[in-house]
Amino acid sequence: MTNYIVSGLERSGTSMMMQILYRGGMPVAFDKSRPPNEHNPKGYYELEGGKVINRLMDGTFPLEKYDGKFIKITAYGLKFLPKGDYKIIYMVRNLDEIMDSMEKMSGPIDREVEKPLFEKLNKYAMKLIDEREDIDYIIVKYNDVVRNPRKEIERVNEFLGGKLDVDAAVKAVDPKLYRNVRENR
Amino acid sequence: MTAEKEEKGKYTTVSIPTPLAEKIKKRIEGTGFNSISSYVTYVLRELLANMEEEEEEVFSKEDEEKIKERLRALGYLD
Repeated sequence: MTNYIVSGLERSGTSMMMQILYRGGMPVAFDKSRPPNEHNPKGYYELEGGKVINRLMDGTFPLEKYDGKFIKITAYGLKFLPKGDYKIIYMVRNLDEIMDSMEKMSGPIDREVEKPLFEKLNKYAMKLIDEREDIDYIIVKYNDVVRNPRKEIERVNEFLGGKLDVDAAVKAVDPKLYRNVRENR
Repeated sequence: MTAEKEEKGKYTTVSIPTPLAEKIKKRIEGTGFNSISSYVTYVLRELLANMEEEEEEVFSKEDEEKIKERLRALGYLD
């Protein structure tokens, strides 16, 4: 059994990557528990309203049900992944852009306090996937996808063994949707 | 040719100033290091390991609680 996961900090482009995979014909699991809104106009592509982390924490999330399918588990949730066989696409994005987006979604953020915390979480998650032998992963930069979707999606396709329809997947990336991009970073 | 060099593709060349190379040559005399390259490799590995150790920040319980608060506000956690 192999579990496929899209991960990264919240607001790092995980939904965009799920859309790319979905459009590119990969098996992707999500439900309608969190509908699209102004923060994610194309949808969240999540399970259980994005609250998979709670189920992973208490050991009740049925990973076996999603064998061979992509699911979204954001960075903190990786801490609770049981031993298995995983392929992870880990999204990274400029932290100030992430903070901008989080602020719009959840209210004011004290960046002096929270930015270093999310930086730590990001490092922690990346170290974790690097060290675990049951995890194969690829790092994808959000801004690279927005700027050069085909190149990045081809890289993802290579990671997935050529299973992705790149032409179709590229169409999921609409640069107009991706506000908050800080240039030259 | 050393065993290191025989492993094609696993090694690359780094230039260092000749006086420094001479200094290293003297320093490794009578030690277990059989070449300037092996000594420089050892020193750099030690240096990088120390730097990585210093850079590694602890992800504490307190940090975790603060992150969980934000994740709740974002709707990713109950």
